[in-house]
Amino acid sequence: MEIINERMNNGDRSGNLVFDIYPLSSYYFSSKPALSFKDETLADRARRLKSNYDAHGMRTCVEAVILVELFKHPHLLLLQAKNCIYKLPGGRLRPGESDVDGLKRKLSSKLSADEDYYQTQWEVRECIGTWWKSDFETLPYPYLPSSGKNPKECTKLYLVKLPSSRDFIVPKNLKLLAVPMCQLHESRKTYGSIISGIPQLLSRFSINMVGS
Amino acid sequence: MVTSSIVNTYPLSSYSFGTKEPKMEKDTSVADRLARMKLNYMKEGMRTSVEAILLVQEHNHPHILLLQIGNTFCKLPGGRLKPGENEIEGLKRKLSSKLAANSPNMQPNWQIGECVAVWWRPNFETIMYPYCPPHISKPKECKKLYVVHLSEREYFAVPKNLKLLAVPLFELYDNVQRYGPVISTIPQQLSRFQFNMIPA
Repeated sequence: MEIINERMNNGDRSGNLVFDIYPLSSYYFSSKPALSFKDETLADRARRLKSNYDAHGMRTCVEAVILVELFKHPHLLLLQAKNCIYKLPGGRLRPGESDVDGLKRKLSSKLSADEDYYQTQWEVRECIGTWWKSDFETLPYPYLPSSGKNPKECTKLYLVKLPSSRDFIVPKNLKLLAVPMCQLHESRKTYGSIISGIPQLLSRFSINMVGS
Repeated sequence: MVTSSIVNTYPLSSYSFGTKEPKMEKDTSVADRLARMKLNYMKEGMRTSVEAILLVQEHNHPHILLLQIGNTFCKLPGGRLKPGENEIEGLKRKLSSKLAANSPNMQPNWQIGECVAVWWRPNFETIMYPYCPPHISKPKECKKLYVVHLSEREYFAVPKNLKLLAVPLFELYDNVQRYGPVISTIPQQLSRFQFNMIPA
């Protein structure tokens, strides 16, 4: 068991919380064929999730928080499916898959050429937040259910560091957006609790906007 | 820095509480508080304040210790740093001032953990943001929240005019009306930690 120790007694503990981000203009964007989404009714989905739960236990999803700079303000990369569904790049882990491997697999699937899975370097940094659902249809909460019930689903947010430049290849049926932090904050109705809460999760980092 | 972060939380019953002399608020209204902040800003520049998140457990759910002033207003223990003061030393000073008995041999050995949130005040107004808003080059205040790791037994002496409450995370989450934007988002900011709930 690890205990948090007192670190060196200098007032500034933020040395390793500095996070570099680069201008949006230093990245390249192109598209690839549409990803197929499971086209099923809500009832079918509920059945599928329940049978997965019975077979493999709690569903774990991993999602990436990726930032770029625009107008001297950090912006979050979001995928938009159809008109009002916003998602972070990521998805469900396979049984036995590690968080980092799963996230890299999902990032390559959503943001790179698929064949490239083993070549793309994604730098996954730390987990910045976790959300749990006590049932598949309930809302997510940032703590384990207080009833002591086992959660059915867990979503973990990971900070992903981008290099100073790279190509993004996005499926045709998704739009990749860069949304300013000041817009996410307090826009729960548009983006949901998880995405709109990201500015508060990032507040402890010192975001260094390189080259702006 | 330890990134796999585990926080031991002990039951509320393992702590003992007494009282000490009142600690009155320096300002009697929000307007007074902002006016005093402005004066201090002219003398000393941006205010840095530090606040502590002290965690206990009840019914296997994490609770945060809050100080209640009057009937409704709740705040975290903490306060303003002196100019040039080290953040960790300043937070220990504030914790002892608000929660420790006065006698020198009863001072808790405060274990300050990670910073979990930073809030910025762009103007002499009550509103704060979890980032420095674009086009603001001279924020008036920077407030940093730190997790504090309590040991299994502590004695807290609470000023007579304040109440010390242990509030569960599920009560704080999303409850901006009652606790304000800073305290009500602490549950999300703690969600990356693993709580080791030590039974009574």
